[in-house]
Amino acid sequence: MPDDAQTHELSTTREDVTMNGFGGTILRINLETGDVKRTKTPADFAREWMGARGFIAKTLYDEVPRDADPLGPDNIFIMAPGVMTGSFAPCGSKIGFGCISPATNGHADSNMGGMLGAEVKYAGYDMVVFERISPEPVYLYIDDDKVEIRPAKNYWGMGSLDLEKRMKEDLGEDFQIATIGPAGENGVVFSCITHDFGRQAGRCGVGAVMGSKKLKAIAVRGTKSLPVHDVAAMTKSTYDIIQRTKPHPLMDPWQKYGTALFVGWANEHGCFPTKNFQTTYHEHWEKISGETLADEILVTHKACFGCWMNCGKYSVAKIPGKPDTYVEGPEYETIALCGGNCAMENIHHVAYANWLCDNLGLDTMSSGNTIGFAMELYEKGIITKDDLEGHELRWGNIDDFEHVIRMIADRRGIGEVLSYGTKGAAERIGHDTINIASQAKGMEFSGYDTRWYSAQLLSYCTSDIGAHHNRSWAITADIQIGQDTPVGKAPVVIYLQHIRPLFDTWCCCRLFWGELDITPEEHVDTIQYLTGWDVTMEECMLVSEKIWNLTRAHYLERNGGPGRQFDVAPVRHLEEKVPSGPAKGKTVGRENFEYMIDDYYFNRGWDKQGNPTREVLEILGIGYAADNLEKAGLIGEPFEEGVPKVRGQKLKPNAM
Amino acid sequence: MKIKVTKENCTGCKLCQQICTIEHYAEVNPKKAAIRVYGEFPEPGIFTPKLCVQCGACARACPVDAIERREDRVYVINPETCTNCGVCVDACPFDVMFVHADAPTPIKCDMCLKCTEVCNTGALTVEE
Amino acid sequence: MESTVIVYLRSGGKLREFLKPDVDQYTRKVDVDAGLSIEEILAVLGVAPVMVAFAFADGKVKKLDYVPTDGETITLQSPVAGG
Repeated sequence: MPDDAQTHELSTTREDVTMNGFGGTILRINLETGDVKRTKTPADFAREWMGARGFIAKTLYDEVPRDADPLGPDNIFIMAPGVMTGSFAPCGSKIGFGCISPATNGHADSNMGGMLGAEVKYAGYDMVVFERISPEPVYLYIDDDKVEIRPAKNYWGMGSLDLEKRMKEDLGEDFQIATIGPAGENGVVFSCITHDFGRQAGRCGVGAVMGSKKLKAIAVRGTKSLPVHDVAAMTKSTYDIIQRTKPHPLMDPWQKYGTALFVGWANEHGCFPTKNFQTTYHEHWEKISGETLADEILVTHKACFGCWMNCGKYSVAKIPGKPDTYVEGPEYETIALCGGNCAMENIHHVAYANWLCDNLGLDTMSSGNTIGFAMELYEKGIITKDDLEGHELRWGNIDDFEHVIRMIADRRGIGEVLSYGTKGAAERIGHDTINIASQAKGMEFSGYDTRWYSAQLLSYCTSDIGAHHNRSWAITADIQIGQDTPVGKAPVVIYLQHIRPLFDTWCCCRLFWGELDITPEEHVDTIQYLTGWDVTMEECMLVSEKIWNLTRAHYLERNGGPGRQFDVAPVRHLEEKVPSGPAKGKTVGRENFEYMIDDYYFNRGWDKQGNPTREVLEILGIGYAADNLEKAGLIGEPFEEGVPKVRGQKLKPNAM
Repeated sequence: MKIKVTKENCTGCKLCQQICTIEHYAEVNPKKAAIRVYGEFPEPGIFTPKLCVQCGACARACPVDAIERREDRVYVINPETCTNCGVCVDACPFDVMFVHADAPTPIKCDMCLKCTEVCNTGALTVEE
Repeated sequence: MESTVIVYLRSGGKLREFLKPDVDQYTRKVDVDAGLSIEEILAVLGVAPVMVAFAFADGKVKKLDYVPTDGETITLQSPVAGG
């Protein structure tokens, strides 16, 4: 039992750093020297950038040298909650991690739910910036005002989940712990950070950058109260939302099945990745569906901080010959990419694959995508048993999956090649394998095949962090506008690219807005009660658009231009027709794709080459980004029609 | 009337902890709550909410009689009388008398029932 | 043998606006020919089936070819946020 009876150290008075809604302090840690600097969180910085993705984008832009090696000492690694984290907002649970990604060589931010974000705010922090590289493995220890860099030599090499268990034993149950696994230590570009036995900051390789700094774990306990402008109003607002949404028709299915309830739908709509995206319908999907999960492997429903929809599913995989493994998941994405994409036919196998990824410290999405890619190469004879230490790599085989993922985590043999992700691996392997690498800008597609969903393909290929639907999930837009046309897709994708990542800036879960009819305006009300800011939804959308343009400018400064050369689609997704299932015969086609890209750039206020224009950057208040792009010869010239007054358009639903 | 805990339904969201502190201190701070949710992970992977069952052991142990029994059989701490000595905390047989550096007295459930109003899983319900 | 059945359709989001709840804020009661599938009932109401991700009844996920029984409640989900 946790020793709650033990009195904590007296908290320092908060008067000098109090800012409603925020922790109040920013930490800068030089891992080379062990130096810890505290500064008060600037009020204008907090107001302008709002947290997490915003704090990360601005800090990386200002501070990382443009030629910094993502796994070298000049990269910066940031942990930052957002304005809503830890408050009594609907699901104020998120915390972001950011850096330059080793997969894309651009801005990266990836966030996680769970309990860590709230704990960091209660300890009093809004951002922790890690600079340089530690000479020895270390972990960050925060206990309210006490901040220490502690030796982690005994922890180095441990699995992510194993280490969290160990640190809870060493430090106490009331510490929140985030860890990397051996994959992150070894620099696999799709390494993740794990927390709360199953929540991840999964994408962009944030785990690899944390590992490059020899930072093995973060442990936080925070006991202070969060300062709030109007507790009564915030409480009433959220309390009323809770009562209103309890009987919502979607509450029950989400509580029961979580994201896995989309498995059947994705198959029936021909967008389920199957066998390295060869096709989009998995014959055995029912064996790995959300219902099968609930019937066969579920242990408990699990929630993030402040969430009453509890979409997390904690499961146990029982496979003869292997120990029982407990894992949070599998989520839809894991079922799609480790399941369908690798042709798995057994929910226990998918859960076990999930556990392997979690404990080794690998993103399940990029892992499933990369291993599916490798399975196709094995099928084609491009990879052989000699490459696999005498093992095979058969579709749907969990033992083969296990062997290769351990090679990847260790970066040995073919695992070293695959550790660069599908793009990096394809570049090293040759044989035109780049054509069947399902990625954009070096980060793997998430769990949707887009050949019948052109807006989603556009979303993936224009995403700033590489292919990820968190930035824009446009599949319903495709259905409503018409799946076979490219017309009208771009403005909707742009709107989604502003509103969805807003939740990564605010740091509350977007599923409440998405599924339970909580309006964005209600979220803005919560921010007003929390902070006292006179803020509107329009302002928040402009903040989100500003961040989008800033990360674009940053990407171009690092990678050169013009931008259009990077906003490209894999050949399989442009030219190969889906061979089977509901989407049989479909593909987007190059002409449609180029049309959408032109339309996208115009509607963004960029130029025909995909470079932002001075005009749009100045509208957004980041004229300095225009100055830098101009110096680099990368500033865009607007289309003849000029820059649209409003960039992006909300989809008008048409159900009839 | 009592608060029934059905731990199989608990998902660890800690809304109960949040609302408890808001109700009693007008603050956002789950660690000042009179209810706590404990997780046992990775195995067996379950959550257990724990709160005062109103057994009265704290009242009997209090050296200054600061813990009173209300008419509805709920034991409450009188903040005027309490010296924050902590004897009641040690005496609690269920470890549900909590302390926090910023609280003037130990923290125990006073059956305000707010937690049962926000719980959406049936883990915390009111039983007559 | 009944010639018509009562079915309760529950939904949130934009779909709810099209279904026009009349029992409570989420529920629409319809009186339709017996033997119609969910997809067919939606067609009677003028709602395109593509707006519905899946149906949920009796604690289970149902496909749109499921035929509701008299008095049954069907929850309809339109995909919005994705997984």
